[in-house]
Amino acid sequence: MPILILIVMAIGFAVVNTVATHLLGPGRGGQAKESTYESGMNPFGSARRRFNVRFYILAMTFLVFDVEIIFLYPWAVTYTKMDPGSAEAMLYLGRILFFIGTSVIAYIYAWRKGVFRWD
Amino acid sequence: MRPATLAFELPSFVTAQFVASMVTIFVVLHLALGLAAYFILLERKVCAWVQDRIGPNRVGPLGLLQPIADGLKLFLKEEFMPRGADRTLFILAPALSVIPALIGFVVIPWAGTLDLASIPFLDLSGTVRIVGADVNVGVIYLIATASLGVYGVGLGGWASNNKYSFLGGLRASCQMISYEIPMGLCLLCVILAAGTVRPTEIVGAQLSGQWYLLHQPLAAIIFYTCLLAEANRAPFDLAEAEQELVGGWHTEYSSMKWALFFMAEYVHLFVGSAFFAVLFLGGWSLNPLFGWDVPATGGLATVLLQFGIVLGKVFGLVVLTMMIRWTLPRFRFDQLMRLAWEGMIPVSLLLLLVTSLFVFLGWTHHLWAGSLAALGIILLAHPHMPRQANPNHRVPLIGSRFSPLDDAGTSRS
Repeated sequence: MPILILIVMAIGFAVVNTVATHLLGPGRGGQAKESTYESGMNPFGSARRRFNVRFYILAMTFLVFDVEIIFLYPWAVTYTKMDPGSAEAMLYLGRILFFIGTSVIAYIYAWRKGVFRWD
Repeated sequence: MRPATLAFELPSFVTAQFVASMVTIFVVLHLALGLAAYFILLERKVCAWVQDRIGPNRVGPLGLLQPIADGLKLFLKEEFMPRGADRTLFILAPALSVIPALIGFVVIPWAGTLDLASIPFLDLSGTVRIVGADVNVGVIYLIATASLGVYGVGLGGWASNNKYSFLGGLRASCQMISYEIPMGLCLLCVILAAGTVRPTEIVGAQLSGQWYLLHQPLAAIIFYTCLLAEANRAPFDLAEAEQELVGGWHTEYSSMKWALFFMAEYVHLFVGSAFFAVLFLGGWSLNPLFGWDVPATGGLATVLLQFGIVLGKVFGLVVLTMMIRWTLPRFRFDQLMRLAWEGMIPVSLLLLLVTSLFVFLGWTHHLWAGSLAALGIILLAHPHMPRQANPNHRVPLIGSRFSPLDDAGTSRS
């Protein structure tokens, strides 16, 4: 409940600021003023051009790891509640090591493929 | 939680805890916004001291009114939108940037438990926690809101129809998502030590035990570095590298929309420092070792003292961040990516492995040895790792066209 109220407050803050500056500030446009900034040169073409595919591959690799980490949080909480050294804890540890191991294999593959090289 | 006795009827959700939460949110929200403005002044002052200058000192005594003047000025500035910009996204991006920053702090425990009986003039009983919302997945909520900030940056860069903004937005989103992984892994090491994801319980564990900075020093260092990268602070401010990209993703922004981006950055800094203080510096704990500590429950004076301690730690971390900014040079983008993917992620995976082994063996009080063991493994394994060619070729001066001597050995010129 307090979180919801805070979210509403935050959205209100953002909206009020954006609207207020729109109303208060002067609005004198112009051909040159509305052009994009390209260090004083005449802008050419659109900025929405093709970009390096590495960003895309990296985002996919990130997705794999991020989803994996999300699964690790509940595991960490349950795992610490167990008796250290018990057979159950051993089972949990083994399972999660297998789980991490599968994505580590993918990670090593990506590393050897040069996904993380940007030079 | 027992609702406090009140004279008139209130909706059922208005309990004493709810009122305390709203008061906390109200105070901290205004504190965060005010501090964001004053952190900018502090940043300029720290910069000035580092560079042996005076810094802003014209507006008010010691320049203390500078943030207010800046804010008023920004409201009255003209806002414009470049041709070809995506109107909706262009307006939406600053809001998307500042909203996640502002909603994050709600789960951070700013002080301990307040005993309502100690408040004068009100006939109340029971206790309330001084936290916006004491949710049981608080840590995950915090890291989720922190990572939502990437939308504002990415969309702002995309919507501007400017090549600098576009590249800046791409770089920023790439950097933020890359550094989120080691951050999450280090967080897991803390959760393994604490056994809970509720921030108040993490602080409680550090009140009765040691700070997790001592338990998990390596995780603390990696987490702090990732915090800098997440907040786009130098030396990780690739996204707004002035020499290469003018202003990065906010090149085309002006007036209060520009200020919202900056407010988001400094609120992120504030919340991130508070997060670090809660996770590794024991929240309002004063004693890093076992033994005496600030009581967790107390009257108004105790709660204010606890709040002051948390704010003091946050302030110290923020000044440290600013000193780092004005001391270290900026990374190059390939170095930044290699640090995250080929440095921090393997190290934090190893740290997670070592920590879970230690927990399995029941050595939870000796986790610092786990950090040492991880460091030892890295030092032993590093020379045997497969190498890739170093991109930084060094061209020998003698014999090159930059050599002051020609091939015969006589001086050019």
